[in-house]
Amino acid sequence: MCYFFDLAISNKRYILYYNIILTMISIIVNGFQLFVNYIVAIIVAIVLGLTLRLPLLPEKPIRFSWTTSALFPTPIFAIGILAIFYSLNIFWIYDGLVIAVIVGAFSAIFVKYLFDYIFPNPQGGSE
Amino acid sequence: MDLIIGLIIATIISWLNFVIVDTFLGLPEAPGVKGAKTVGYYIKNRKGNLAGGFFQGNILCSPDASAGTLMASIGVYILGIQGGLIAALLVYIGNRLCADSGYAGTTGALTMTLLIFIFSFVGITPEMFICGMVIAIFTIQGIHHPTSSILLGKIAKSFGRYTNYE
Repeated sequence: MCYFFDLAISNKRYILYYNIILTMISIIVNGFQLFVNYIVAIIVAIVLGLTLRLPLLPEKPIRFSWTTSALFPTPIFAIGILAIFYSLNIFWIYDGLVIAVIVGAFSAIFVKYLFDYIFPNPQGGSE
Repeated sequence: MDLIIGLIIATIISWLNFVIVDTFLGLPEAPGVKGAKTVGYYIKNRKGNLAGGFFQGNILCSPDASAGTLMASIGVYILGIQGGLIAALLVYIGNRLCADSGYAGTTGALTMTLLIFIFSFVGITPEMFICGMVIAIFTIQGIHHPTSSILLGKIAKSFGRYTNYE
């Protein structure tokens, strides 16, 4: 309440508080936008992975399975690569939403077609 | 928060995070690579527990939830929450290069990122988690292998993840 008292008596302080509140709102909105972007990337990755006929889950028992699926590791690639883009301050248009869609699509295609070539399944080591 | 108290709490959280995730995802059940098998039987010969030995061999031979926890702490320290997500990706790539299917490391990194985010509201900073994780891994791998392997074996038994190897 005392803030509002101060606002009434000092114009300079009013501007200062106004700026602080605006900054906080922008942080909350930007944080929410980033959160939405990550969710979009995960959804695009999973849906495209399923359309490319990746299985939804690895074969059982899951904890010893080597098969790639739509739920693992496709979203891990999507959010990891997206986080690299955002940490480098690359947002492009629509606050990074377009990059989120592109990265999600890329990670699904990568896991489907390139994954086994880059990270081959070890033949001799696993028992 | 006071540094020492924060460090103790961070150590306990990191310890619980990596031991629970690793045990649940089957590290004590089977050695992923030959090195882990060697370590497990060596610890058993020194009056340790075989399941705990496999656990220690597996976290020695490939980046599992222990490495995930540490790398997520470092990632959050450097880049914020996004650093934790990058750490999860890097741990997964490291897992695949070490002939590991990668569930434990990735899950550990993501849960640790979430835990650091939650406990940042209490005042525990990421650097406390980095130091706490080093202390936590020291209690498992650094002090006395047979004793810690017996403890890990008991935890594995309570999770239903005990090894079938003899």
